[in-house]
Amino acid sequence: MATRSGLEKWFPEFFEKHKAFTVFDLLVTYISSGRITLDKNLFTMKIAYHDPCNYGRKSEEKFGHGYYEEPRWILSQFVSNWVDLYPAGANGYCCGGGGGTMLTPYKEVRSHYSRKKIEQIKRVNPELIVLPCHSCHGQIKQALAENNMDIPVKYLWEIVAEALIMD
Amino acid sequence: MNEPTDTIKSHAPLRPSGIKPETCMACGTCSAGCPITGMEGFDPRKIVRMVLENRDQELIDSKLPWLCTMCGKCEHACPMGINIINIIRDIRGQVDRDKVPGQIHKGVELCLETGNNIGLPGEDFTFIIGDVAEEMAEEEGFEDFVPPIDKKGASLLHTLHNKLVNTQNEDLVHWWKIFHAAKEDFTMTSENWEGVNWGLFSGDDEAMKIIVGRIVDHMDTLRIEHLMYPE
Repeated sequence: MATRSGLEKWFPEFFEKHKAFTVFDLLVTYISSGRITLDKNLFTMKIAYHDPCNYGRKSEEKFGHGYYEEPRWILSQFVSNWVDLYPAGANGYCCGGGGGTMLTPYKEVRSHYSRKKIEQIKRVNPELIVLPCHSCHGQIKQALAENNMDIPVKYLWEIVAEALIMD
Repeated sequence: MNEPTDTIKSHAPLRPSGIKPETCMACGTCSAGCPITGMEGFDPRKIVRMVLENRDQELIDSKLPWLCTMCGKCEHACPMGINIINIIRDIRGQVDRDKVPGQIHKGVELCLETGNNIGLPGEDFTFIIGDVAEEMAEEEGFEDFVPPIDKKGASLLHTLHNKLVNTQNEDLVHWWKIFHAAKEDFTMTSENWEGVNWGLFSGDDEAMKIIVGRIVDHMDTLRIEHLMYPE
């Protein structure tokens, strides 16, 4: 998001010569064009999807498009039982690790912040949490550990990579 | 009374709707949406109020802007459309750089100096990439994988989150595998490979621009057409 807003603000001519893609754009293109094929029998457990603020609300605000549908479309291509946390999308809760707060010493506030995410996760009780953000990945893993919850967390592209069918 | 002109209120960018913070009705919807309202005195409604009262220095000297995750739930809920996140970032940008808590500014400084937020030397970077790639090539289907670095004329530039060459080496391979399967002609770079721009968090536009500019330079120097946004 920083790169995209920086390019748009300071290097608008960049887009005359180049095209730029989000992680979702690439995955949707590869899957829909058949450049990659995914095993549909690998992810049958209950998976909860977490919306990062940067790809949702913040992208909607800054770039006029929030990435809510794309990750869900990607999941639907090969994951049989994925669920949303509630509330999701634009009304979703931050994990507590956004805005660089993972880099600050205010760990207590971060833990307090994540209680909302933990409540959401408990309500759904998934076997795996999938998300597309490095900060959310770190923060949710930490929050689960603090709450003695043994649920693995994976990147969206991680489960795509695991499901690849190689010729 | 003369209104001061160079205040947070006057220079924090407005949202696309152009609504000014002065329209705040003090309804508190922002605070109701914020998961840390009440924690260590944090309260978005009060922060907007302080900005309206030009209590800039109080905010700059407090740790409030650094407790916020800039998640935007407050302003998403705001019935008036006030620029709360830009206010937070504007405050952050006015804090003396040596008083920015934790690693945020230190990472920016390291990035400006070394090309990445953790100051990883070039030879270590090359070693880690080679080592992880070698291991990946032992897996079925990826035997002929060689990690492309500084490849001229590649189709796609792939920058990296510093975590992946630091504490999460095992997560480097996911995109490599997807690219390999999709026969994507991608490349990474040996220098300035950082994909994360902490200038966004530290409120430092000057640094942020330099770091974004490096990506533009890669694309021009290596004649790459497509960019994968790193985050």
